Amino acid sequence: MSIFVIVYYAALIGASCLAAFYKQRGVFMLIFSLTLVSFVLGIIGGAGALRLVATAAGVLALAAGTSYAFREFLIQISRPNLAKELRTAPLTAAFGMFVIFTYAIAGIFAPWIAPYGEAEVIGQAFAPPDQNMLLGGDQLGRDMFSRIIFGARNSVGLALMATLLAFVMGAIAGLLAAVKGGWFDQLMGRIADVIMSIPSLIFALLMLSIFGTGLQVIVIVVAVIYSPRVFRLTRAVAGNIVVMDYVEASKLRGEGDWYLVRKEILPNATAPLIAEFGLEFCFVFLLIAGLSFLGLGIQPPTADWGSMVRENATLISFGDITPLIPAGAIALLTVAINFVVDWMLFRTSGLKEQ
Amino acid sequence: MGDITRLILKRLGLGLVTILVVSVLIFFAVELLPGDIAQAVLGQGATEETVAAMREQLGLDRPAFVRYFDWLGGAATGDFGVSLVSGERVSEAISGRFAHTLFLASYAAVIAVPISILLGVFTALYRNTIFDRVANVLTLSTISSPEFFLGYILILFLAVRVTMFPAIASLSSDMTFLELLHRTFLPMLTLVLVVTAHMMRMTRAAIINLLASPYIEMARLKGTPPWKVIVKHALPNAWAPIINVVALNLAYLITGVVLVEVVFVYPGIGQLLVDAVAKRDFPIVQACCLIFAATFILLNLAADVGSILTNPRLRHPK
Amino acid sequence: MHDKFKDKEILLEIRDLKIEGYSDETWVPIIKGVDLTLHRGEVLGLIGESGAGKSTIGAAAMGYARDGTRISEGSIEFDGMELTTASESERRMLRGSRIAYVAQSAAASFNPSHKLIDQHAEAPVHYRIKKRMEAQEDAMQLYEQLRLPNPREIGFRYPHQVSGGQLQRAMTAMAMSCRPDLIIFDEPTTALDVTTQIEVLAAIRDIVDEFNTAAIYITHDLAVVAQMADTIKVLLKGEEVEQAPTQQMIDNPQEEYTKSLWAVRSFNSPQRYRPTDGSDPLISVQNVDAAYTGGIKVLDDVSFDIYPGMTVAVVGESGSGKSTTARCITGLLPPMSGQILCKGEPLPPRYKDRTRDQLRQAQMIYQMADTALNPKVRISEIIGRPAQFYGGLHGSDLKQRVDELLDLIELDPVQFYSRYPPELSGGQKQRIGIARALAAEPEFIICDEVTSALDQLVAEGILKLLDRLQDELGLAYMFITHDLATVRSIADEVVVMQHGKVVEQGPKDEMFKPPHHPYTDLLLSSVPEMDPEWLTTVLEERGVDNIGEAADR
Repeated sequence: MSIFVIVYYAALIGASCLAAFYKQRGVFMLIFSLTLVSFVLGIIGGAGALRLVATAAGVLALAAGTSYAFREFLIQISRPNLAKELRTAPLTAAFGMFVIFTYAIAGIFAPWIAPYGEAEVIGQAFAPPDQNMLLGGDQLGRDMFSRIIFGARNSVGLALMATLLAFVMGAIAGLLAAVKGGWFDQLMGRIADVIMSIPSLIFALLMLSIFGTGLQVIVIVVAVIYSPRVFRLTRAVAGNIVVMDYVEASKLRGEGDWYLVRKEILPNATAPLIAEFGLEFCFVFLLIAGLSFLGLGIQPPTADWGSMVRENATLISFGDITPLIPAGAIALLTVAINFVVDWMLFRTSGLKEQ
Repeated sequence: MGDITRLILKRLGLGLVTILVVSVLIFFAVELLPGDIAQAVLGQGATEETVAAMREQLGLDRPAFVRYFDWLGGAATGDFGVSLVSGERVSEAISGRFAHTLFLASYAAVIAVPISILLGVFTALYRNTIFDRVANVLTLSTISSPEFFLGYILILFLAVRVTMFPAIASLSSDMTFLELLHRTFLPMLTLVLVVTAHMMRMTRAAIINLLASPYIEMARLKGTPPWKVIVKHALPNAWAPIINVVALNLAYLITGVVLVEVVFVYPGIGQLLVDAVAKRDFPIVQACCLIFAATFILLNLAADVGSILTNPRLRHPK
Repeated sequence: MHDKFKDKEILLEIRDLKIEGYSDETWVPIIKGVDLTLHRGEVLGLIGESGAGKSTIGAAAMGYARDGTRISEGSIEFDGMELTTASESERRMLRGSRIAYVAQSAAASFNPSHKLIDQHAEAPVHYRIKKRMEAQEDAMQLYEQLRLPNPREIGFRYPHQVSGGQLQRAMTAMAMSCRPDLIIFDEPTTALDVTTQIEVLAAIRDIVDEFNTAAIYITHDLAVVAQMADTIKVLLKGEEVEQAPTQQMIDNPQEEYTKSLWAVRSFNSPQRYRPTDGSDPLISVQNVDAAYTGGIKVLDDVSFDIYPGMTVAVVGESGSGKSTTARCITGLLPPMSGQILCKGEPLPPRYKDRTRDQLRQAQMIYQMADTALNPKVRISEIIGRPAQFYGGLHGSDLKQRVDELLDLIELDPVQFYSRYPPELSGGQKQRIGIARALAAEPEFIICDEVTSALDQLVAEGILKLLDRLQDELGLAYMFITHDLATVRSIADEVVVMQHGKVVEQGPKDEMFKPPHHPYTDLLLSSVPEMDPEWLTTVLEERGVDNIGEAADR
């Protein structure tokens, strides 16, 4: 038995004793069940499996620590009202905010952060990682790390544009439908029904096969596909507000539709709309990533995470994790956004119950 | 029962109209091509004669709506015309592959539906415990991951590092059923992971919503034991939301299946569609889109009808 | 303590009960040390305004803490068993069998998927007190005792097939199914109309008497509790104010707070009469029929006039069409036929076709102050907008006008000018709603159940304010209400509506004197009075068999 295994078990058992002593029931159960699981894992997988568990636990602890510190940081720099909200954020949400922040920095300052250009060939195809190329080379010998950084700008930027367009179209239609009602509401509802009755990826494939894969085409097609979702949510949220007596009072005063939307409805709809924006972005981002993976998204040589997975996919059968890196980058961002949105939705629904 | 029959007929009619509208959309979208199909397929380099010959062959000289009714009539009888690239009949290219896709989707559904509903009910019952929170984080992470990410991770660990399952789900006609299940295990697992996460979260939300109703509190205050509260008071009212959740996610499977088929090189209709899109083989694209959309609409229709049938207020009219 | 029960055995004893609720990340006290003693067969009335903690105490008597609350201190002893330390399954064994519960909303508290009788039989069968067929037979008997129509058949219906008043009685029957020692009635008639309420009250009282069941009757309505309870306990913000036998409590309340509750509705505005010079009425509703799209007629030939400076109360139960009439007047629902005149001029049926000046004339004050004020807009803008919109005021003129209006509704301008509605109490919000209506400088205001969501003391303040404003500004009110006490105190003329028709109208002093239209009579005689003997007297007058379905038509 190696020293690592002894230290591993000693640490776990010591920690669970401490937790039990300080009556931290949840923590104790967590650590001690981990200990029990480790016995089984250790017998089956040997020290290697334990090392994996220890690494995973370490990564989790590091992530938790970072999130905790980042939340404190945010609380310190924000205004009192916001700070009070932030205090209620669980660690997952703080982690999400940290990741979004990191991606934003990477995307905005990509040319300064990345050591090489996104289309620059600097080494051998599929070169292993070294000091020069942190994550190795891709199928043409370009620097994987630089391309990942540039990908943050290209992939996220494109998805952001498509989401914004979808949101503007869907939200305006939804608000107007709620205020105007009648035939306009009916018509918009039917159009949304038809678009939503075709699976999004299938619809996108159909449209791209016809109009080709230009960037504008992708943005418009994806926006058209997702705007009905925004429309429905906005229509529902605004529909709940429109029946309020204060809106009736404004209508009876003789206020115009635009005043109703701007002054009476929008201020009360911001919280759910922001949460929906996050969710919508995730969907759009995953759809565009899927299209890129199928070779129908952003075209080479522009660095894009979805296409990078596709281009390096063959490496996976040699046990190389290179194609997983861009895929992981996609997953990490959507997970992060979902964590934040989850918290926001919890907050708004929690307020509703009171 | 008059009310219920009328409602269901209305829903069925609406579903039919939706399929028709979607078919119009799919057919006329291709008409939006700059130039026409013949030019688009043959490209800039084609001579006038070859383009004209193709137009002749496709009957492009006839008005669009005539061709639409031809196409729709053919589609209704399973005839989608001829592939522009291979010259093969589209129906032949599709039929076998469609069966494969259906098999994969059902394989995933059979495993995912019971697991996720059970887990959903459990997380709802033990909400805000550690179990629930871990499940929440895990499902959120799975939902957020693209299908190809999950697929490649599974390949890396279960096919390459530990060679338990094949990484490529190719099929041959002489396989036994067990072999088939083994061969398609990884694509199935990928789909199950994604769909289970969605379904479980929705089930949980539906049940929690239900447990907040006054009649559940009443049942508790009548001294009904917890398991009976769930089985007798919550479940009969939970069918409609659960049916909706299941249908929605089966519909979601349809989209997921396209990416998963590409990752695992599975000979299904999804891969055919992706190839056809790249080659601009429009008859195949249209056929695949229509099939996917129709399945999607039918599933949603089934959910609607299901929730009408299980609604006590509609089942026992005044 | 009521003498009648002094020597009876104690059934429930609560000592120094403290309950906390979870809000804003901390536990805050809701019940701050309440004692309660209940003898076998005694009915204790728990009364108090909203937020007094009545309902929480009721649940605690069953050893039950709702989600988000916890019992932090004190003891609850039921028939020798300490509920705070008992295990969950021990407590569960009591519920339904020895302590039963009747909820406020019967419609929501019956499971929509099961027949009434199946839900009725669930507890007795579960506790093996009765066989299934016996339980059904017993249910039918109870239904008959509670004077439900078709007692042998009604149990086989689903909840949505039965009316609200009947459901409430069926729920009382269900609570009785195991012949419990104690029943908690949690505002059982609050959601019902007065004519339905009287029937449910009579049924509950009879059955509680018959089985000599002890009960805790929770309500905010003093007159109701006076009919039901042997002893009354008054609560305020989680603390006991006082407790006494019913008669003594009504004749001679000790505490200031209780006295003030009793004194409410002593307010009475002097009656005004129509002008005799033949001038046009301010608003004249003429032969109006109306229906919502695709629905049946909800208004049928409605006509009445409102003269300047007068208050017309429109009275009726839910579904009588009183709010729909208001929607027709404001133009939200264009009538199918008939017209509405303003100072002799016909108003366009749709509000969108009306001129600004026509819109300005008629303002509304709403029932729910919470939904009547936009929570994201400052008070200054809520009140200022109409003044700006109609009067074209800007800058310091506007600010001065808003200050004036705030003064008018007795709120301090400095303190309230830049606050948001959620920071205000219910009564303050309602005052802001009034100020918004006044800002348009109207001659006519529709008050839609403006006091029914408020506690009695606050409601009285609002009525006084409205009356003062009417004198100062010469306003005419259309006062929509189901509450006859409000009508008595503020109306000049009364319009009684039923099923979309006006059944009777006239000056108040005539309306409250017989002879009445039969429906007016039923309505008037169904309003509970503070006299504990009222219910008995009414029942005797009407005859037991006559009250039944008069209410549930």
